Amino acid sequence: MNKIKFIISIIFFLFVASNILAASINKNELFKNIRCLVCQGQSIADSNSDFARTVKLVINDQIKDGKTEKEIYKFLVEKYGEWIVYNPPLNKYNFILWFFPYFILIIGGFLIYILSKKKDSA
Amino acid sequence: MLSSIGNFLLLLSTILSLIVIYTSFKNLNEKGNLISKNLFTICSLQCTFIIVSFFTLVFAFIISDFSLVTVYQNSHTAKPIFYKISGTWGNHEGSLMLWLIILTIFSFLFLVSSKNKKKEFRIYTLIIQNLLIICFLVFLLFNSNPFGIVTPVPKEGLGLNPILQDPALAIHPPLLYLGFVGSSIYFSAAIASLLTNYSGKLFVNAIKKWVLLSWSFQTIGILAGSIWAYYELGWGGFWFWDPVENASLFPWFSMTALLHSLIVLEKRDKLYFWVIILCIITFTSSVAGTFLVRSGVLNSVHTFANDPSRGIYILSFLSIMIFGSAILLLKKIKSNNFVFNTNSKETFILVNNWFMIFYLITIFLGTVYPIFTEVLSDHKISVGPPFYNTVIIPVVVFFLIFMSIGPQARWIKNRFDNFKQIVSILICSLLINFCIFYFFKSYSVLSNLIIISSSFLIISSFNDAIKSIKKNNFNISRIISHSAFGFLILFIGLNHNFSIEEEFNLKIGQIQKFENYNIRFTNLNLEDHENYKAIIGEFKVNNLDKNFVQILKPEIRIYEKPSTLTYEASIRSNILEDYYVTMSNIDRSDYYNIKFQKKPFMIWIWISVILISLGGFLRLFRHENKIY
Repeated sequence: MNKIKFIISIIFFLFVASNILAASINKNELFKNIRCLVCQGQSIADSNSDFARTVKLVINDQIKDGKTEKEIYKFLVEKYGEWIVYNPPLNKYNFILWFFPYFILIIGGFLIYILSKKKDSA
Repeated sequence: MLSSIGNFLLLLSTILSLIVIYTSFKNLNEKGNLISKNLFTICSLQCTFIIVSFFTLVFAFIISDFSLVTVYQNSHTAKPIFYKISGTWGNHEGSLMLWLIILTIFSFLFLVSSKNKKKEFRIYTLIIQNLLIICFLVFLLFNSNPFGIVTPVPKEGLGLNPILQDPALAIHPPLLYLGFVGSSIYFSAAIASLLTNYSGKLFVNAIKKWVLLSWSFQTIGILAGSIWAYYELGWGGFWFWDPVENASLFPWFSMTALLHSLIVLEKRDKLYFWVIILCIITFTSSVAGTFLVRSGVLNSVHTFANDPSRGIYILSFLSIMIFGSAILLLKKIKSNNFVFNTNSKETFILVNNWFMIFYLITIFLGTVYPIFTEVLSDHKISVGPPFYNTVIIPVVVFFLIFMSIGPQARWIKNRFDNFKQIVSILICSLLINFCIFYFFKSYSVLSNLIIISSSFLIISSFNDAIKSIKKNNFNISRIISHSAFGFLILFIGLNHNFSIEEEFNLKIGQIQKFENYNIRFTNLNLEDHENYKAIIGEFKVNNLDKNFVQILKPEIRIYEKPSTLTYEASIRSNILEDYYVTMSNIDRSDYYNIKFQKKPFMIWIWISVILISLGGFLRLFRHENKIY
């Protein structure tokens, strides 16, 4: 029993040790999540258009003002609509999008559980 | 001239397809177990005609015969010969022609290679293949005719989109289509199997090669597209969760699921109807992918067609196919009583299928959801990388763990007598993760889990390899593909976390410093090329830690026909990392906008995918040998 406890504590320690440092706002990640509205399927991080440059400047200013990632997304959605963010916000329109995959995951797991009935005596 | 030849051949092939179907039915009523020689002759004739008409189109592109609309719209005399040829399938009509030629050749090959199978099964498969061929021929002839003419004949063509003029993109569609179209064979075979009750192990033998073949080509095809996106789009990424990229993944997931459940059907004679359903899903998702790409309903970089009538045709074709096969399936389906032991290889393979279907549905939903919200509620949304990353990546962690344990499980009833081993492998992977984290850089919890689980898979696969060599039943393809998949996820994880991206504006002669890098904009040159002008920048990238200097030369290309500006990335690859620089001009100033990226382990991502598909090819080879 002690051995198992020891192993579990090692696992726990290694995992926690790997997670002490927290991440700050990653500007490049943020840019990649915003659609360049004048381009064909490009994010503003990947685009050279004037629109992309302007939005990047605006976001840089907002980060300097100390706004959080959430506030910046909210600002952009209010101004340009949900089309601009690649991360669809969770609301009544996008409810199915966010939950249906998990629904399928649960149903699938349930089906496999039923199919593979335990037959330990066999 | 070429136009009439092409049209005539296509028309002739349509008639031949009808004759094939007629002869097949006649042949079915005849006694004997042999397929009549006539049928072989007609099929080879039909195959020849389609090949000739395809090469007529290629020839028209080579000699730049602008009397053909397709050639006029997609080619230009000043284009290098290689891109004239690849331009044949770089457009809607030509790519359908490519689809058709592969479909016909595959049908013929199936007929020839299935000699020892039941006659009815072969003939029904052939009939369904020919129905598909007719559908494509009709679509080609009446909607998207590659041999349509334009009068008066223009002197010069409009040219091919420069970003499509690229070697990786020249081979990308043929490879991908080998996968897409290969799935048509087992779709037809599945229907034929339902009609003729040709099931179980016999059915597996008939389609296994085709599943492996299409899966391996599909994998390589997706890779070619990804490599193209990496160096041609100049964004530094290799996967953007773009709708068109997603479309190539739908069939890949169901093929992977099929590949695995075929093993259960082969070894344990179970899951027959599930296999049939997967066969149908694979092909219909290939066609659905084509529909999404070709109809222009999706907003994407790659979409080069925008014509609703095409969409409607493909959509009705698709619905007939789905409804037809669903009705047939419902008629034939029997509730066969498969009771599996919870802890057995069968269950682990079902778990694989479970995850594959989850990925398939998630990606499909993400791709088509914006269409529905826009049509139903006039609410425009974008579904992009953050959605897929949030939903899929946490699930991948569990998937990798099942994938590590599954292959070593026993059929029927498994025991975890190797529990100690699993724990020690887990500790090893935790240690690996801890070392990377401690000595290099910190990253998120999720990244930790990804790196742990992928290392877990890699070590387990090696362990699996050692054990199976001892037991003398070494399954090389499984070990290569599985461990390569582990490496793929590991390298993607590392690449994601250790990339450096910096953007800044520079004038000639200026230097930019950041982290341990020093970039000097040394020179700017102008060059004239065959079909474009280039502005070439020269940058000295100095890694101060290693005192290592590299020169990178990104370009801005100005194409005349059609007039476009493209930004060519300059990439220096080595074993550990890629340096990636792009440059773009800023209006009314001497400054250039420079984007520098360091991408670790890029080559290893490509190699991993090549190995994954190599596993498939090796298996195919072994399978061939076994048949004698």
